[in-house]
Order: sequence, then structure tokens, then C-alpha cells
Amino acid sequence: MNNPEFKRNLWLSFSSHGLIAMPALLALSLIATALASEGNNKMESLHSVATALFIFVVWLWGMRNANASIVDEIRDKTWDQQRMSALSPWTMTWGKLFGATAFNWYGGLMCLAVIAGAGLAAGLPDVPATLITLCAAGITLHAGVIAINLHACQFESQFVQRGGMGWLGIIFALILWSGFASYETQPFRWWGREFGHALFLLDSALLFAACAIFAAWRVVSNALQVRTLPWAWPAFAVLMSVYLAGFAYQGNLLTLWETGLMVTLVMSYAALFTETNSLLRWNKLRLLQARQQWRGWLEHLPMWPGTVALCLLFALLLAAASGGMPETITALTPLQGPQALTLALMLVRDAGILLFFSFAQRARRAVGITLLYLLVLDMLLPFLANVAGIEALRYFLQPLDFAVISWNSPLIMSLHALIAVGLVAWRLKQSTQATDKP
Amino acid sequence: MIEIEKLTFDHPGHRALDAVSLRVPEGSVTALVGPNGAGKTTLIRCIAGLETPLEGRITVDGTDVIEQPREVHRIMGYLSDFYGLYQELSVARCLEYAAAAQGLPEADISAAVARTAAQLDLADKLAQPAGNLSRGQRQRVAIGQAIIHRPKLLLLDEPASGLDPEARASLAILFRQLQAEGMTLLVSSHILAELDEYSTHMLALRDGRILENRQLHPVHTAQATRRLRLELSSPDQRLPGWMQQQAGVLPRQSDAQQAEFDFNGDAHAQAALLKALIAQGFPVCSLASHKENLQQSYLRTVAAHLEGTR
Repeated sequence: MNNPEFKRNLWLSFSSHGLIAMPALLALSLIATALASEGNNKMESLHSVATALFIFVVWLWGMRNANASIVDEIRDKTWDQQRMSALSPWTMTWGKLFGATAFNWYGGLMCLAVIAGAGLAAGLPDVPATLITLCAAGITLHAGVIAINLHACQFESQFVQRGGMGWLGIIFALILWSGFASYETQPFRWWGREFGHALFLLDSALLFAACAIFAAWRVVSNALQVRTLPWAWPAFAVLMSVYLAGFAYQGNLLTLWETGLMVTLVMSYAALFTETNSLLRWNKLRLLQARQQWRGWLEHLPMWPGTVALCLLFALLLAAASGGMPETITALTPLQGPQALTLALMLVRDAGILLFFSFAQRARRAVGITLLYLLVLDMLLPFLANVAGIEALRYFLQPLDFAVISWNSPLIMSLHALIAVGLVAWRLKQSTQATDKP
Repeated sequence: MIEIEKLTFDHPGHRALDAVSLRVPEGSVTALVGPNGAGKTTLIRCIAGLETPLEGRITVDGTDVIEQPREVHRIMGYLSDFYGLYQELSVARCLEYAAAAQGLPEADISAAVARTAAQLDLADKLAQPAGNLSRGQRQRVAIGQAIIHRPKLLLLDEPASGLDPEARASLAILFRQLQAEGMTLLVSSHILAELDEYSTHMLALRDGRILENRQLHPVHTAQATRRLRLELSSPDQRLPGWMQQQAGVLPRQSDAQQAEFDFNGDAHAQAALLKALIAQGFPVCSLASHKENLQQSYLRTVAAHLEGTR
């Protein structure tokens, strides 16, 4: 075995007690199910219980262990040693992904055997597809939690250090589980074509497993000082946009632009509030720009500017496309051109506000302060203006109005964005003057 | 071994390293000293490639750390001030993992574990979980992990903190052994007396800038210059002038009662000087080598720096 990280995780995960206890407990649960169920339903009950056990052992418990493979390294101060090892990012990624969850897969394989046997005996459809889908979803969750934890570990927050990301993942897994458990076997309509239910779920699970493994590898690469260009996050945004837009396809590309706008908006905010946006990083970028070291500049660029640019592009495409279409079509889309542009410009404004607070001399709680100010700006002040009956002020403070379709909205939001960008420029000038002082 | 040019590193609100330039010679043991917040840990982490500076250049054995950190890691070992161990793994497995993670061929790992355990006096602890060891033993396991791949450069951040005197003494012996094997060591510590036992160079940092970077004790040869200190039992006003006229004597500090000077000569020349002093009627009560320890050297450097900034 040539992967030291995988081997180390096996040393830590497996014990002689665990090797016996896992099959014993699974067997007892399944025997109890078999004894409790009646006649013809026996195999279907075994199939259901084995599926539930797999979800518990591999998805939930496995995600906790995948979470610990990062959180414990950072908490126990062994992460620097790993960062300085000669292991390649890929070796480290799969060593953690399958090593930390190996014990769960040990139990999961037994569950899979029962799911397969009971499913075939009961004559259930698509048993092989179900097996692969369950495994792919497990890998997606494990790789996803590794990627998110490593991405978030730059924040010295107790929430992250205590494995909070894992708990968020477990909540997500439970939502996924409920969807999986209550699925109907209706075929999916995607981009105007019909796909079999099990096959579509299988393809989706494999796609997201591949994306999650890729994300984990990218984040591990960065942690191991292997620099990357910031194309993967915008590319994932485009992929998600195409995937989700397929469900709402109505014969034109409006749904793609609209879905793309919403996906890039959400992904931009997610990146914006979880990445390092410090003045130090900005200074490094300015230095690289001054030296025309463009590759280095791109390597140090955060992920969010890429999706912000895409968001603006989708807003423009939506505005242009909806402008030339008959009202019968545009009426079907909840977002109109002016609103789309207003949303994208609001993102630019909010990025400016975050940078303004992040570039302050004492910027320890920039994210929290920004969220507070956004709450005041977008909700409290418009509410007060509304209560006071000053409609013009309310509209100026919050021009994103879904009831009114007007090009004034993006114009006012452009003004918001300009003020925010101006504040960032002022802050930068202040910091430059402070640095230049002897 | 290490060459740094204009290294600048900012922490939020303050500059941790301000255009630091330095050289660390191959085979040396450099004591990295300075007060808290001087930038010692940041400097070590930058050299280890764990932090990306704002600007500057660091090369280790000719390889650019900022451009090729992964290449440099192969020839480097690092022990952080808050090191960690896999508490549930046995010492043997901790060392085996470190060896494999550093890319040692599978066939060489057992020998590397045995060699490192013997070097660190851990051979009888190999089967014990790392979490059951004493602090000194855990420190040795952590050092073992850092040196198992026989790096050319070993970076140690406060390696002796929290250790008892016996463990510190054994650490000093180990560092001398590693230096004898040709390894270059950069050791940061607050305990200057302990660094004095094995350091060949001193690198003093303060407020992110270098105060001094120099060799501590020149290599002695038969005719090498040594610092000597002369003391008289009663003052004699002729002493400073007389010392100035002697061949091989370079006074550093002298008055009517004592003189501190660099002397270029062997033991016979020193005996001849003593004979001449007595012949001249100076009431000599002591003539001995004067070796400035690291603490004195550091405090003198800091005092000179503070004097210069006034």
C-alpha cells in the first residue's frame, strides 16, 4: 500500500473490537427486521432497513469521520506536518477521503450486500443503479465536507474548529435522505428530454461525486502550497446553472440565464463571505499587478470575482434576451431584465461593503459587521421609510422591488455600487498613506 | 544554506518582517533570538514555505521556497512551537508514517525508524502510544518525525520550551550530533543559556528587523585571535598606553584597573605577555580567556540598537 495517509487512517480507524462489533450489530439489526416482518414483505423490509443502515453508517457517520480528518488535524496541530510532507495533493485527498471513512465503508459494504440480495429477491427495479447511487452520494458528502472544512479552516472560528461544517453537512445529508426515501419513480424531464428516474439519479450522483472529489483535491492542493488558477469555482457555477436550468427548460434560453444568475449570485455570496479578503491579500495583488506577474496575480485572486463577473454576464444576457421576446414568454419568468441587473449590481455593492470593512486596520469581524450593515441597509431602513410613508426614500434605499419593473431600479443600485466602490477606493488610499509614513 | 532577500511579511495591523535579508551558512547552528513579537516564528514559517510573504525571496540550498515550496520540503524538517503528534499511534507508527509521508522508499522505512529511534533514545518506547509519553519523550518523537528523512535543514521553533533541565541537556547533545552529521539548524528560543551550548551563529530580530547576524565563536586555530581579559589588583595608569604598544594585542576596552583585548597568539605568546606585564611591575591578579555568552552578546546587541535609536 503506497498511500501513507490512507494507511495511517486505517491504523486509527480499525480495531479488533470494531472489526467484530460492526458486522455483529448490523447482523442483529437485520435479523430483528427479518423476524419482525411478515411473509412476502420480508425481503422488502430487509431492503429498506439495510438502506437506512447504509445511510446512517456511510453517509452520516462517515461524514462525521471525514469531517474529523481535517478538524482533528488542525485541532491537534498535526496539519503543518502534513502540509510539509512529500505527499501529492491527490495522494493526500484519497488517503483522507477513503482512509478516514474506511471503517464506515466496511459496514457499508455489508449493507450493500443485503440491499442487493433483498432487492433482487423482492424483484425491486434498478437495484444496481440504487447501489451505485447510494455509494456516489456517500462519496459526495465525504469529499464535500473535506473541501468545505479545509476552505473554512482559514477562519479561526470555534464553529469550524469544533466540526460545525460537519454538522451542516449532516443536516444536508438528512435532507438528501428524506428526498431519497420518499422518491417517486416518475421519469425526469431535463432540457426537454425524458430520463428514467433511477438512471437520472445515478448520473446526477456520479456527476456530483466527481465534482466533490475534484473540489476536495483542489482545496487540498492549495493547502499543500500547490497554486491553482481560479477557474474551477466559476466553472462549477456554470455546470450547476446548466444542470438546474434543465429542470425548468421551456424551449428557450431564458431559464438558463435566469438560473445562472441565481446560482452565481448564491455562489458569489458564499465565496465572498468565506474567503480571505484582507488588505494583506489586496496588497499582494497590487504588488503582483505592478510587476505584471499575471499568473501569480490570478493565483492569489479570490474565487468570488469570477462568479461576480458571471453573475453580471447572466444579468445582461437575461436583460437582452427578455427585451426581444414576446410578453407571453417573459411573463413566465419571475425575473425581468431590470430586476436581474439590480440583483447583480446589489452583489457588487455588497462586495464593496465587505471589502470596505475588511480593509480596515482592525478587521477581525468584517464579515459580521458587513452582515449587520446589510441587514440595516436592506431591511431596517426601508422598513422605517415605509412605515413613515416616505415611499421615494424606501425605493432609493431598496430599489430591488419585484412588484415594480422599472429601469430606475438598476440605476439606483448602480449608485449604491458606485458609493461602495468609492468607499473601498478611499479606504485603500488611506491604507497606502499609512504604509508610506516612515 | 538559507539566503533571504528583502523579505516582507504583514500581519493585520502590523509589519511582522520588514525587508529582512540574511544568510545562514551550511552546517551552522543558528540561534534565532529576539523578544516576543519580533517575527521569529513568522520568519521560520516563511522559510518552511508555510506562509506566503508580501514580497522578498527565500532560497534554501538554491531552491526558491516561494516558487517551489514542495521541492524545499523534501530537504527540510520543521518542528513548530505547538507541534502535534498522533496520540493514539505507537511511536513506531508515528515515525513510520513520517518516513513514508516524506517519500522514503518502502524498503528503507524500517531501517530509518530504527536509526531515528536509536538516535533519539526512543528504542525502548517504540511500542508505546505517543500520548502515553512524557513531554520530553514526545518532544523527541516530534523531532524524530522532523529528521527521519535526514533533511539538510532543520527548523526548530522553541524546541526546549516546557522541558526539564535533563531533557534540555539531551536536546543540546542531539543538536550537536545533528550538526556533526552535516545538518544545518535554525533554532528559535527564549532560553539563551540553552542555545549557547550548541549555537555557532546568532541571528537577533527585533520589530521585524535584523539587529545582528554573526558567528558566535570563531573556529580556533593555534594562532587565532582570542578575547582575553586582564585584571590588576590595584589601578595603574600606565596600563591602557602599554597595552596599545604590544604586538598582537588589539584593546577593546581598557582602564587603569582592567583591560579586555583581542590577542593574536598561542599559549606561549600568552605566557610571554604575562611575563612582560609582571616585568613592567603591573600587579596582575588575572589574565584569562573571556568568552562572551549568547545572553551577554544578545543584550549587548540590543543595548547598542537602543542607543542608536535614541
